[in-house]
Amino acid sequence: MSDRDDANLVVSLARQIEPGDVVFTGANSAPAVAACLLARRAHGTEFTMLTVAGAVDPSPRLLPLSSGGPELLEGSAAIFANEDFFDLCARGGVDKALLGAAQVDGDGRTNVSAIGSWRHPRVRLPGGGGAAMMMPTARHSVVWVTAHTPRQLVAKVDFATATGATALVTPLAIFRRHRDERFQLESHLPGSSVEEVSRETGFEFDGAGAVESEPASDREREALMALDVSGALTGSRARPEAGSEMSTTRSETHR
Amino acid sequence: MSKLVSAAELAAQIGDGDSIALGGSFAHRYPGALVRELVRRGARDLELIKPSPGYDLDLLVRAGCLRRARVGIAAMDEGLGLLPHFRAAVEAGEFELEEHSCATLLAGMRAAVAGVPFMPVAGLDGSDLPELNGWGRVDDPYGGGGAPYAVPAIAPDVAAIHANEVDEAGNARVYGSPHWDRVLTRAANRVLVSAERLVPTAELRRRPELTILPGFMVEAVAVVPRGGWPGSTHPDHGADVEAMREYLAPGEEALRRHLAAAPEAPGGAR
Repeated sequence: MSDRDDANLVVSLARQIEPGDVVFTGANSAPAVAACLLARRAHGTEFTMLTVAGAVDPSPRLLPLSSGGPELLEGSAAIFANEDFFDLCARGGVDKALLGAAQVDGDGRTNVSAIGSWRHPRVRLPGGGGAAMMMPTARHSVVWVTAHTPRQLVAKVDFATATGATALVTPLAIFRRHRDERFQLESHLPGSSVEEVSRETGFEFDGAGAVESEPASDREREALMALDVSGALTGSRARPEAGSEMSTTRSETHR
Repeated sequence: MSKLVSAAELAAQIGDGDSIALGGSFAHRYPGALVRELVRRGARDLELIKPSPGYDLDLLVRAGCLRRARVGIAAMDEGLGLLPHFRAAVEAGEFELEEHSCATLLAGMRAAVAGVPFMPVAGLDGSDLPELNGWGRVDDPYGGGGAPYAVPAIAPDVAAIHANEVDEAGNARVYGSPHWDRVLTRAANRVLVSAERLVPTAELRRRPELTILPGFMVEAVAVVPRGGWPGSTHPDHGADVEAMREYLAPGEEALRRHLAAAPEAPGGAR
């Protein structure tokens, strides 16, 4: 993943967050944590940020290496721990769950369990955390992948860890789906095209309504650079935190 | 009566073949010293039950202590990716994994906490996990029309957590996030605690709401400064990312060096 891909993914994710939302970010999720911090700093969006670290509206100066550690408690006035945020989602209280995936298909299923068969995996992935419960119960489930190729965006996932994605955000494009329907292409990067997205996507989709997204603004770029001095995000090649499952999958599947 | 024991004696409370639930989450506040004492003693056939393990799971697999694990998500955290030894063992078919969602492990432990045989859990629709694990649905007996999946009760033989402060009676105080420690200590049949430091009971009486675990539930306690190493124990210690990276080096020699460098080892890092 290039620095440009990182920035595009984080900016696109940040733009999914709307005023008043209750947003959850999971583990191994540097891009999602960065997106939440960016939504505040670059867009001024007022929303509630919950993290797997147990923080409520934390304000770390820099993006931490861990998406679930005590650095993410910095500035939090409350602890809302694992049981709290899962129960909140189960009862319909999470507006947007931002969840990473190794594979996504056109029916909104994600795989974070295994590449190949589950019983005899070629690559054992980390597992879905809360995703199997959260994706069907969150009001919106925004799935993100750190690379947009037919290896991540597949015709059918090898294993359905979770289902119910309502949006798919990649470094190249944004797809949207109503539950029980298929993903439709909503937008692609400026200078890209429906044809390019099709070439890089392993599932079929309707791209008739797709538009070019707004390029990242100077304010978004500057806020992101200021956040990621730690290199948690853009240093992902040396330290594969950003969607670590994907980094490994990529290296394995490219073998 | 004092429940204080050494870290090795604490680990000796866990028998071969036991199912163990470990506190903390990913690289944070796991009972690292206890896990290493299990490794040093050569514990066998253990089952780990933990929604979000990391180093603890990987080390137990690496040392051959584990027979199986029930896990929701497993990663080193701190930007260090997947668990290499756990991953290799699963890919080689040498290890029995029961894959959960964190929410289903939570539900199963809550059933044990509440003394009922199963616990309904929201979501899961369309996931391959229920079929993989043979979970059934229960009809709403009150005519609401819902039929959530029900996860069978999960009662670990032993739960072990790492706390910030403890007294001789085993009352344990935790700062920062409790992660899963409340539910897993209530679900287990027996509870063990390691802690950063010993405090007088009077100190715990001053702020009883910070005591996550009352002493009557606790069987034994060990005071192990930096016992959560190489993970973090907020606010006492941050994660030692360099030590985590060194741990990841393959081979017997790297494992031996890692165990020798641990804070509870003679001459280890303090």
